[in-house]
Amino acid sequence: MAKKLAVVPELCSGCRICELVCAIKHFATANPKKSAVRVLVTYPHPVMRLPIVCSQCKVPLCADACPVGALKRTNGVVRLDTSGCISCMKCVEACPFGAMFAHSGLEYPIKCDLCDGKPQCVEKCPKGAIRFIPEQSLGESKRMNNVLSYAHMKEIEFTEKGEKKTIRYAEIGKEEL
Amino acid sequence: MSIKSGYFKKRLHVDLTEGRCQRTPIAEELIERFIGGRGFGAKLVWDNLVKHRFQIDPLGPENLIVVAPGPLTGTYVPSSGKTSFVAVSPATGLYGDSSAGGSFGLELRQTGVDVLTIDGRAPQLSALFLDEDEASILPVPELAGTTCLEAEGLLKERFGTHEVKVAVIGPAGENLVRIACVNTDWSRNAGRCGMGAVLGSKNLKAIVVRGSKDLPVDDLEKAFAYMRGHKYFRMWQREGLMMVMDYASAAGILPTHNFKDATFPRVHQINGDTMLGGYKIGDAACLACSMSCGNICLVKAGRYVGTVTEGPEYESCAMLGSNLGVDSYPAVLHATALCDELGIDTISAGGLVGAVIEGYEQGLLTLEDLDGQPIAWGDDAAVMQLLYKIARREGIGNTLADGSKGVIRRWPEMEKVLVQVKGLEQSAYDSRAASSMALAYATSDIGAHHARAWTIAKEIEQGKNWTDEEKVDLVIYHQSLRPLFDMLGVCRLPWIELGLNEEHYARFYSLVTGKESTLAELLAKSRDVYDLTRLVNTRLGASRKDDTLPYKVRACPIRTGPTAGKVVDQATFDRLLDLYYQKRGWDSDGAPSAEVEKSFIS
Repeated sequence: MAKKLAVVPELCSGCRICELVCAIKHFATANPKKSAVRVLVTYPHPVMRLPIVCSQCKVPLCADACPVGALKRTNGVVRLDTSGCISCMKCVEACPFGAMFAHSGLEYPIKCDLCDGKPQCVEKCPKGAIRFIPEQSLGESKRMNNVLSYAHMKEIEFTEKGEKKTIRYAEIGKEEL
Repeated sequence: MSIKSGYFKKRLHVDLTEGRCQRTPIAEELIERFIGGRGFGAKLVWDNLVKHRFQIDPLGPENLIVVAPGPLTGTYVPSSGKTSFVAVSPATGLYGDSSAGGSFGLELRQTGVDVLTIDGRAPQLSALFLDEDEASILPVPELAGTTCLEAEGLLKERFGTHEVKVAVIGPAGENLVRIACVNTDWSRNAGRCGMGAVLGSKNLKAIVVRGSKDLPVDDLEKAFAYMRGHKYFRMWQREGLMMVMDYASAAGILPTHNFKDATFPRVHQINGDTMLGGYKIGDAACLACSMSCGNICLVKAGRYVGTVTEGPEYESCAMLGSNLGVDSYPAVLHATALCDELGIDTISAGGLVGAVIEGYEQGLLTLEDLDGQPIAWGDDAAVMQLLYKIARREGIGNTLADGSKGVIRRWPEMEKVLVQVKGLEQSAYDSRAASSMALAYATSDIGAHHARAWTIAKEIEQGKNWTDEEKVDLVIYHQSLRPLFDMLGVCRLPWIELGLNEEHYARFYSLVTGKESTLAELLAKSRDVYDLTRLVNTRLGASRKDDTLPYKVRACPIRTGPTAGKVVDQATFDRLLDLYYQKRGWDSDGAPSAEVEKSFIS
């Protein structure tokens, strides 16, 4: 089953552990600038923390931009064959998400390889802000949020056998019925 | 075995008067003996004092400021985002340091230097830019008067990238307010000791860094796994330091009404639950920190609508909340945001404003002293006014901006209501509940701050029938261990809050530097640095007379709550202090020996 990286920006704390573990896994150094994931922060207006991850696109623009065909999508992962790579970094510029990276100390661009099916950024994220989920589940949290946005949650307090309890229910407006 | 890795062995020195930036190698001895962070800072500040024959004006060009991450900063050690700012403090006139979290330290290290030192004075408002190849001083007159957040945004725009990391001062730092802080990475402050004023006196608005070099690393996953498994881990992520509000109020150590009380009846209005209930919109963490103690909060309605800030955490919430009798969470949030923007220390600001309110209540200050604007407990609008006045040095703010020492110089009677040691306002733990904490504040090298030793929880938890010796030993142990975190460049919260064993840190240090070290060896080095900072203070004129109890702690019992009636009596304190000096190997006036001094002369 093809799985994809998905990001829940509301959960990201900006700690950059994903960047660190990616660099450690691929380059054995604690250098966040040698990672295939990057946390972008805007503050204070708007407050955003968003990890940029590779989507392993089915029509990879990075591969399209490669003049020597060094990037190929196999088994759901777009991989870089460094033996063919000419280090022009066109792929880095071509990615519409900015999810490929270059570093002056590296000969080749940095490409996410999903860590052979066990992405470290997902495993080590302390907040669960990066997830590795089946493709058909993408967008699930958005769908649920959308459902909940229709419902105005109400609370009633009541007493049962002398114990105070609350019950929550969704009130759907008449105009929506 | 010598140090193999973990350092670039480079120092960057910037002379702002001459406009010269120079990379020089640093001696093996500095690395071996002083480790980094606060250790580097103490030694380099000491060397500078020796060079100037101990004649240094904290706001003069000769006061060297040291910006030092540690060898573990930016590695995959848990919560390793710390950088120390060290100089002679304008608040106390003595040794001063303060550390900030965020990612600034990592970025600074990635430019290939272990320590940045700055002295002199730029001819006009300037920013320092560093990357791997160059260091340059750029005039930035257009940033004059900008708030910390504005300035950081404008600088990122100017450099055209969000990848630079910025340390910046606000209007308070520019105006040489002696409680001004340095704001790094949006909202992680080096708050205490007036380090912002030191940068302001050098006409240095900001330090902008961009680096990409590799740092050494080893497999530290075990430590993270331990923390993730801790029973308080999730709770910590949700509330961070705001958890402490309820605890401190219940234990009777929460500063309330300028330390008149130690419990706040309306604490539930400014505690973690209130924050979670209606204000928190996101988490914030420093580099490599899984605990994410930062809470991003937004006020969605009412007078302070639109206020957004990272915080407040416990200290800010206690000092700007209960300590001023302010019981509205949005008001506390707004005051914290204001301090962040103006670049002033929330603890000192809360202490000073609290003293003003009490001073006015007691008639020590007249309405005229307050520029005709009265202030009372819980009057949040007047508190905001005062914060502005401090940052701009207007009216009474001009005196408050000189810190406790300035206030006492103008109104000597105010000494009775100012809770401070050596000129630094006390942080948010009432020491009357635990005499070991009073000793910790009195003997802290930077003044009444809890970062050196925080023994209060232990003393309260384990009952109060401790022997003097146990108290003194605990204070000294804390004063060795806690500064060690600042030397290594890591945060101490994984240790305090989640009980990550301190032995781990010896392992981390060994892994990163390739030099096998035990915790005992590292603690000995930290203790050595404590001797050095004491020596700095001694040579700058401090002695036993400065290791004091604030008037309030020795003469005014706590009025209400579980600790009501508590006070630290002077005789007990003197006994503790004698024993403390003896165990430190200092003389009865608190001075280290001549041999110790000799060991620091290079």
